[in-house]
Amino acid sequence: MAAKGKIRGSSLGFNMTPMIDIVFLLIIFFVLVSNYSSAERVPVELPNPYKSQARKVKVTDRVIVNCQWSASGPDGQPGVVYRAGPNPPEPLERISDRLAAARAAAAAEGRELIAVIRADRRLPFEDVRAVMRMITENQIEQMRLVAQAGEEP
Amino acid sequence: MSGAEPVPSPGAGAPTGRPTRRPQPRTGASAVASLSLNLAPMIDMTFLLLIFFVLTTSFHPPEGILGAKLTEAGPVPGRVALPISPIIVRVRTTGPAVADFAIQIDNFAAQPASFAELAQFLRDIRRNEGFDEETPVVIVAPADTTWEHVVECWNAAVRAACRNISFGGEG
Repeated sequence: MAAKGKIRGSSLGFNMTPMIDIVFLLIIFFVLVSNYSSAERVPVELPNPYKSQARKVKVTDRVIVNCQWSASGPDGQPGVVYRAGPNPPEPLERISDRLAAARAAAAAEGRELIAVIRADRRLPFEDVRAVMRMITENQIEQMRLVAQAGEEP
Repeated sequence: MSGAEPVPSPGAGAPTGRPTRRPQPRTGASAVASLSLNLAPMIDMTFLLLIFFVLTTSFHPPEGILGAKLTEAGPVPGRVALPISPIIVRVRTTGPAVADFAIQIDNFAAQPASFAELAQFLRDIRRNEGFDEETPVVIVAPADTTWEHVVECWNAAVRAACRNISFGGEG
């Protein structure tokens, strides 16, 4: 009777080892492939140049200007929408004020501010050039362009 | 000496031919139970982690940075004096497709048909005297040129190891 009871008890057990194995494998996969995007990187369809030389570089002391293509721009027409980092869409004049404030804060601490332009590949050059002009007017000498990264050599 | 010999108590003296049995402690069952591992909290955490990663993972193409240095702002913002003998690359978009573009290089007979040829041209030109990595390359594009084509030109110049690349505008 005792032996019979023992067999019945073990047959009710649930072997979770394979499930835990799979779950751990999934977690390891997601940990490795997860790319934590900062809030500053709003969705933008970036240019993907042939044999891209763009590299993943950590830029400190930066201010990101996002140039998004929008089907309904500020005036309801398709066009560009400017955003300073994670901020909501703003007119370029307001972004210029933000840039000036950021540059003044960086200069007060002896740092050099770098402007990073993330522009949608479909935008006309004049929309991005307006940002470059604004950066120059704010006397920021360092600028970076963002494109889809290529493979490391 | 006829004193009586002590009588050994049963089970504690000379071998009787049968192994003696000690009573087992009753704590055996609880000792086994304390060795078992409770996996429930670990599995809870594991599932929470899994759900977190499943929900937060987004598969974006990786992005990188193309370096650029703007010339110092002069008294008239947005206008800079061009250095001596720069290579002026003009690019314009000619249609809606990605392949619809035209490249022209001022004062040179060679007109690249692709961005790969542009990179090759910028590499080859350094064999001529007076051109090196520091020779300025100015990318000039009409206002309606798509940003993608401008960045393609920039990327070609970076591929050709040009170090002094800047933008210009028409009009």
